[in-house]
Amino acid sequence: MMRWLLARLGRAVAAAWLIASLVFISSRLLGGGPEQLALGDSSDLSRPAAGARSAATRQAAQQVVRHRLGLDMPVFYVTREAGPPVRWQWHGAANQYHRWVMALLHGNLGYSYRDGQAVGAMLWQAVAFSLPLAGSAAVVAVGLALGLGLYLAQAPGGRLRRLLLGLLAGWQVMPLFLLALSLLLLFANPDFLNILPGSGQPPANASGPTLAGYWLARSVLPLLSLVLAVLPELTLPLVAMLRHEVRAGYATTARAKGLTAAQVLRRHALPNALLPLLTTLADLLPTLVAGTVVVEVLFGLPGSGRLLAEAAAAHDYPVVVAAVLLSAAARLLGLVLTDILYFLADPRLRPSA
Amino acid sequence: MRYFRPFFGRQPLGGLALAWLLLVSAVGVVAPWLPLPYSAATPDLLQVSAPPSWSPIGPAHYLGTDPLGRDVLAGLVAGAQRLLLLSLPAVLLATAAGAVAGGAAGYWGNQRLRLPLAAATGALGIAWWALALPGHAIASILLIATALLAIAATWPPLAPALRNYAFALPLDALVLGATTLLGAVPRLVLLVALAAGPPLTQLQLLALLAVLAWPGTARLVRGQMLQVRVQPFIEAARASGLPMSRIWWRHALPHACRPLLAYTPLSLAGLISLESALAFIGIGQGPEVVSWGSLLATVRQDPAAWWVAAAPGLALLCTLLALQKLAKSVAKSPDF
Repeated sequence: MMRWLLARLGRAVAAAWLIASLVFISSRLLGGGPEQLALGDSSDLSRPAAGARSAATRQAAQQVVRHRLGLDMPVFYVTREAGPPVRWQWHGAANQYHRWVMALLHGNLGYSYRDGQAVGAMLWQAVAFSLPLAGSAAVVAVGLALGLGLYLAQAPGGRLRRLLLGLLAGWQVMPLFLLALSLLLLFANPDFLNILPGSGQPPANASGPTLAGYWLARSVLPLLSLVLAVLPELTLPLVAMLRHEVRAGYATTARAKGLTAAQVLRRHALPNALLPLLTTLADLLPTLVAGTVVVEVLFGLPGSGRLLAEAAAAHDYPVVVAAVLLSAAARLLGLVLTDILYFLADPRLRPSA
Repeated sequence: MRYFRPFFGRQPLGGLALAWLLLVSAVGVVAPWLPLPYSAATPDLLQVSAPPSWSPIGPAHYLGTDPLGRDVLAGLVAGAQRLLLLSLPAVLLATAAGAVAGGAAGYWGNQRLRLPLAAATGALGIAWWALALPGHAIASILLIATALLAIAATWPPLAPALRNYAFALPLDALVLGATTLLGAVPRLVLLVALAAGPPLTQLQLLALLAVLAWPGTARLVRGQMLQVRVQPFIEAARASGLPMSRIWWRHALPHACRPLLAYTPLSLAGLISLESALAFIGIGQGPEVVSWGSLLATVRQDPAAWWVAAAPGLALLCTLLALQKLAKSVAKSPDF
């Protein structure tokens, strides 16, 4: 059992490593940015009279920037030089990929192209905001799904139940950005209901508790969008499983010995219905990580999702690669948590058994 | 039509969904010839965030303009065209690739596809030549010549002696590894990271979307193929002496692909919302590209302009709901 788990984790780590390497190499091969970025785009708008001279100086300046960022080195251990005759060259350890890997193993994620900040510190700051958001969204969504699932499973088969189930099924295809945008336009709109702060700057003279309260109010709508977005995919399978379990023989026995319908559902059917749902839980964390990208961009929150989106828009590759690594880590965490939950839920899977 | 009747005969909603999808595709097809007063990408700077107007004097913005001055109606049409030219081909490509990869992985597994060593030698020779590795002139000619000799040696009198020189291609491990690799990061994060470079052309974006969408199809078809492979009719086909590749293509694959009828609309819906989310965040595309997602993004600059969000938002939502309804109708139909 442990060996199977380790093999699974090992495969996941290898996949994360490979995908980050792919993103790293493709970003370096695509080029198109860091040196222009570091020089500022204003050089494109320079006076046409100075064009001839500035072309040479610009090239020299770009060369300096490329050298400083280490971009003048070959990308990979082996490179292929195009053009006849095609030549393959071995560069040994003096290449960008090797240096990136070595720095990563020392815990150094590199430096941003935009302002030279350490990516690790930037990411840490952003995660400190996104992790509570995604984590509380996960907890609230799971709790709501449990409550809603239990209610829908024992509710009489009337019109309300059908309506709720149909609504949830339709809700499932609603893209998160559309959901969050409607919430923003409904509840944080100066021309409609202006209940909650949607975006903008915190009040200037706010101190500790006020500031915390402000950010809490700011997080209500993003949290609500994340929860509502993942609710159907958690609830619908749970309802189906519960209704399946209630018809099983052991549930009939439990009812025959005099338990109420609610007791049968909660004590007997729920543990069995939860087991297949744990697989869905493993996907919950990555889904929420992808969701934070949309939600934080829309609501202007300083989290890791917005960091990724802004870095991608500005061709800031070190930050992009680090964010990819981070979301791969979130998936790993989801896998580990699910396996632990499996062990807790099903005694047959425990290593000692 | 006879094909659709069992699907929609008793389901008015299903018919409605199909009608909406047909409308969207028809608009997408005739978009270049529609007599619209404004084009989608050119802003009308005199009328920024103008509400919908039906004034009879001069060309009106029937659905209003967005905060950049672009006509919303023209944007809707351009979005429908983009759906037809980008998302649909990407899904078809991904479905075809996923069906072939998943079907092959499920049918042959890790052990059953045994290729003669000559094939490996030949492939090595061709790869050596194509990559122009050092010494490719001599090495690849030698390798290909060996391969040709070995193939010639499968001439029946010699074949039994050479039959043992074969290797198994681990198709299943390769396909599953690729799906694991692409599943290591959420699709939106991977899409944003890969679109971080210079603006993508439409063809590059299409390829990227197809790459992100094929693993789901491949996993589904692989699972189905594992069940189809052990059915008696496959055994009968094998017993009647058909070659493996023919059994796979003509008998096993059509059966393994049946669930795709219901899965592909859902896959398309997922891809449309993925593409719209990318456009909404505004990464990887030039500013002149108009889609429903990019139109929706502009409403943030002027929250009072509800018409900018309402039209593309409703169109997007209706399309996604219609695709879901279509998938459900197909799955429920008695023929399926």
